[in-house]
Amino acid sequence: MTIMTIQLTDEKIGSLLDEKKLLPEDFFSPQKLKTKHGHKEYEINITGENGSNFRLIFRQSNLNPLDFSVILVYLPKGSNQQFRLRRYNGKSHEHGNHIEKNKFYGFHIHTATERYQQSGYREDTYAEETDRYADSHGAIECMLQDCGFYVSMKNHSLSQWGMN
Amino acid sequence: MSVEAITRNFRQKVCDQVRVEAEGVDRYHVFTPFLFEDGDHLVIILKHDNDKWILSDEGHTFMHLTYDLDEKDLRSGGRQKIISNALSAFSVEDRKGELILPINNNQYGDALYSYIQALLKISDVSYLSRERVRTTFMDDVREFVEEKIPKDRIQVEWHDPTHDPDSRYTADYMIDTPTGPLLIYALANDDRVREATINLLMFEKWGLKFRSIGIFEDQEEINRKTLAKFSDVCEKQFSNFGGNKDRLLKYVQESGGMATG
Repeated sequence: MTIMTIQLTDEKIGSLLDEKKLLPEDFFSPQKLKTKHGHKEYEINITGENGSNFRLIFRQSNLNPLDFSVILVYLPKGSNQQFRLRRYNGKSHEHGNHIEKNKFYGFHIHTATERYQQSGYREDTYAEETDRYADSHGAIECMLQDCGFYVSMKNHSLSQWGMN
Repeated sequence: MSVEAITRNFRQKVCDQVRVEAEGVDRYHVFTPFLFEDGDHLVIILKHDNDKWILSDEGHTFMHLTYDLDEKDLRSGGRQKIISNALSAFSVEDRKGELILPINNNQYGDALYSYIQALLKISDVSYLSRERVRTTFMDDVREFVEEKIPKDRIQVEWHDPTHDPDSRYTADYMIDTPTGPLLIYALANDDRVREATINLLMFEKWGLKFRSIGIFEDQEEINRKTLAKFSDVCEKQFSNFGGNKDRLLKYVQESGGMATG
C-alpha cells in the first residue's frame, strides 16, 4: 500500500529539532566509515526523548574532502519515509533557493520548511550560507549544537572521527 | 518581445551563468545553472588527468542520490537501467563512482553539453524514490508475529492442503494451537478485507474448525459494507495495530498460541 509523503509544519519541524537526542558514547570513538561508490558514509539511528526516531547520516566524497553532507533525518512511525530536517553541506557546489531567488557558493545549511513543502519542493530545499564551519568535523559539531543532541560524558572530541 | 530580445534573454539565462574558476592545480570548477531538485547545482570539475582534460563530478552525483536512496538501489532494477543508458548515450564513464568524460579534440563545449545531459538524466532517478513511500503496517505485523510466536507454531500464507492444494484460499498467518488453527489476517485496505472474507467463508464451507483474528491498519478507512460482511465471519477484530499490540498478544495467549510477552 502506498501513502502520501508526510508534510510537517514549521512548528513540528522545530519541535523535532529541539527534541533531546542522546548520542551514544561510542559515537566519538574513531569511526570506520563505509566506502561506497565514490564516497564514504556513516549512519546511526537515534531515538529522541519523546520517542521520535531519527537518523544521523554522514557522506563525504572520496576525491574532495570539502564535498560532504551531515544530515539529520526524521523517520515517521508507520512509514518508510525519510524526512530530512537539516543538512550541513560542504563547499563543493552552488545552491539556489527557488522561492527567494538567491544563489551562493559556500558552506551551507539546508533546513526543512513548510513553505517549500507546500510549493512542491523537497522539504529541505531551502538553504543558507554559513561561516560556522569549514570542514566536516565542524559541520558535525554544528549539527550536534543546533539539533538537540547531548552526550552523557564530559570530554569528547571529534578529532579522530571518520579517520579510516 | 522581439526574436532578438528573446534570443538575448535565452543567452543571458544560459550562457551568462556558465563560468569557470580555478580551484587547485590544473583543476577548475565549472559553474552552470543546472540543478538537482533540491536547489543544489551539479558538480562539474574540469581537471587534468593522465595527460588529458576530463570533466568529473568527483563522486558527487551518486553521493547526492544516496540522500534519498540506498546505494545498492542504484545498482539494480529500473534505476540501474536509467543510469547505464545515460552513461552509454553520452559516453560518460563510471570510474568507481566518479563520473568522467574525457575531452577529445578540444571539443570542450560539446563535452560539457553531453556531460550535463548525462548528469541530469542520472539525477532523475531521485524522483522515483518518492513513489516508494509506503506504510510499514504489513512489515510491522510480520515482525510482531515472528517475535512473539515460536517459529514451529507459525505458518505464513497458510492454506488447507486437503481442500485447497493450489493455495487459492489463504490466511496471512496460521498459529498452531492445542484447540486448532488460529488464523490471522493483516488488513491494510478494502481489497484485503474482501479477500479475507471470501477465504474465511470458504474455510467455513469446508467445515474446518478454526478461530480467526483480523488486524486492521485503520478500520475507519474500510468501506462500511465490506467491513460488515467481514464482521460476520471473523471472530475477533482489532481496529488498528499500533494501539492494540498488548490486547492482541493477550488474545493470542488466551487462545493457546503460546505467545511470549
